[in-house]
Amino acid sequence: MYLSTTLSEVPWLLASDVVADAVEDLIATLGETTATPYFIYRLRDAMLSDTTGRRILRDRPRMTSKTIDVARLQQLPENTVGRAFVGWLEREGIEQDSRDNVRYIDDEECAYVMQRYRECHDFYHALTGLPVFVEGEVALKAFEFANTLLPMTGLSLFAVLRMKAAQRRRFWNTYLPWAVTNGVKSKEIINIYWEEQLERDVDELRAELGIETPPDLRETRRRLREERKAAQEKENMGEQRQK
Amino acid sequence: MRVWDGLSSRGRVSFDSRPSDGPIAYMTENQNITRGLLAALEQQAPVTVFDKTSVEDIQLGPPPDSSLSSLNLSSYPHVMLSSKQRIGARLLVGADGINGPVRTFAGIPTRGYDYDRHGVVATLKLDMPQDEEVETKAYQRFLPDGPIALLALPDGFATLVWTTTPQKAAHLKTLSSENFIASVNAASRLPIVDIEYMSTQPDGQTSELEWRSSINPANELERTGAVPRTIHSVQEGSIASFSIRLRQATTYTADRIALIGDAAHTIHPLAGQGLNMGLADSQALASAIIEAVEHGADVGNELTCLNKYNGEAWMRNNRMLGVVDKLHWLYSMRNPAVVAARGLGLGMVEQFGGLKNWFMRQAGG
Ligand SMILES: Cc1cc2nc3c(=O)[nH]c(=O)nc-3n(C[C@H](O)[C@H](O)[C@H](O)COP(=O)(O)OP(=O)(O)OC[C@H]3O[C@@H](n4cnc5c(N)ncnc54)[C@H](O)[C@@H]3O)c2cc1C
Repeated sequence: MYLSTTLSEVPWLLASDVVADAVEDLIATLGETTATPYFIYRLRDAMLSDTTGRRILRDRPRMTSKTIDVARLQQLPENTVGRAFVGWLEREGIEQDSRDNVRYIDDEECAYVMQRYRECHDFYHALTGLPVFVEGEVALKAFEFANTLLPMTGLSLFAVLRMKAAQRRRFWNTYLPWAVTNGVKSKEIINIYWEEQLERDVDELRAELGIETPPDLRETRRRLREERKAAQEKENMGEQRQK
Repeated sequence: MRVWDGLSSRGRVSFDSRPSDGPIAYMTENQNITRGLLAALEQQAPVTVFDKTSVEDIQLGPPPDSSLSSLNLSSYPHVMLSSKQRIGARLLVGADGINGPVRTFAGIPTRGYDYDRHGVVATLKLDMPQDEEVETKAYQRFLPDGPIALLALPDGFATLVWTTTPQKAAHLKTLSSENFIASVNAASRLPIVDIEYMSTQPDGQTSELEWRSSINPANELERTGAVPRTIHSVQEGSIASFSIRLRQATTYTADRIALIGDAAHTIHPLAGQGLNMGLADSQALASAIIEAVEHGADVGNELTCLNKYNGEAWMRNNRMLGVVDKLHWLYSMRNPAVVAARGLGLGMVEQFGGLKNWFMRQAGG
């Protein structure tokens, strides 16, 4: 059994927090164990359907601090994929880490696909410019969902249920439409041989894949915070004047 | 005989006859039948064979000549040969295939449609150790575009019937023999995603097969006979393709006309029934003619002879055409629910001896 959520079901579920809580518990327990094999097969087949994807599966490259040398990437010209990647690491204050080795998948090739998926995740952030806090992660998950039509990443949309009202509105009005249109129209990003793209112009790569960057989420949040602060101050001044 | 579903690991049936029952069905190359029939004809004098001659036209005989008390041939079809001979017939049997002139002359319409599929055929040599017993198995794997069948022939040969889209059939025919062989080997053992990928590549099938076989080894399956042996070579000039159609003439008979074989009906090859149906037609027609002759009736007359044939053959063929048409649609679906149901269905066939025997009898014809 696996759980899948179609986009049309999500708003309906949103209406009921009780359902949402129950479903979220269910997913926490079922998600990893049942959705993973299905998701991994879909992802592997997406790779097997593509020339570059097949080459990645033949070579099985790993991203470690040796193969992705941050110091070297910093030397690359402005606006290269490599620079965008280290720039994103810096902006988000993340140390480039080699991800845990995948252990629980028996099939060697599927285990590699999972490994690759994890190791590429940070590049997806760099490519889209989405930050790592929940709102950014959910938008990125929605993008991946639309891009690969995967149930597990679809499940992560339930995190939307946990968001504050303003965030949730922003998600429905801006990030979800962005994620769906871009995810569906762009090529499957699991088939990018990142190791070969580091010196490419990042905008050229985006154009080739058909990805537009979404509105800068950190910038939006900062602007909103300032607007709120300004409004607050105005109100405070008004109150003082009345006194 | 082994039948399995390319999209479901569960749907797998093996039809094995008990040693005491003899084989399920015999497979023979068409040329063997033709040779046999020609030899039999020679014993049946007086039969005249017009070799290397085609039918150029068919017309009714001239109106009766009032001055002479000769035979009225105006209702007899007359066949005009390329050798300029002209033959009037009491009964004209159209065994002239899907586009033959007899049905056109009789003005009998057909119903049906084209499947948008081509059947790629070839004669192949299997990879087999010299001293090994020749195995005579038939394999059929249902792929989403259509089944691929490998039918064993004597001396380690096999014949291929691979039903696929016209585009993919055309692509297969452009490949080098090595890549053609690799594609056939892949189609009989690799996952669908690999087969689809290989069908988009102009070259490199051999290397793709080698790599994917190392990831999904089929050695064990091959040893136990669950998948066919790998193909070693393809006979030069044997690769051809045909478009696949469903046709049924609205009737098989008219005054002084009988249609048999593909002239009367054409079927999807997934059940290998085309020729069987034609042979059954000729058997039914022959018995109707024998009966008419014994009773001194006119063999060209519908009421006294031909209706018996039409009544027997038309319905039986119509049922077979319907079943095979539904199988085609069932197996061309990729919907996971349908695939699961299919797996269950074939699983049930595998479990129940009775059902299996029924299918075996049908395949044997
Ligand atoms: C890809 C494919 C795979 C198949 N696989 C199988 C299988 O595994 N098993 C099976 O049982 N069946 C199979 N069939 C079906 C089988 O080939 C046909 O059912 C069978 O050949 C029909 O025989 P027929 O004699 O009625 O017609 P045909 O074989 O079409 O013969 C008609 C004959 O009439 C002649 N003719 C036509 N017009 C004229 C004319 N004007 N003058 C003189 N002669 C004329 C033609 O030259 C031809 O020789 C398959 C068919 C296809 C397309």
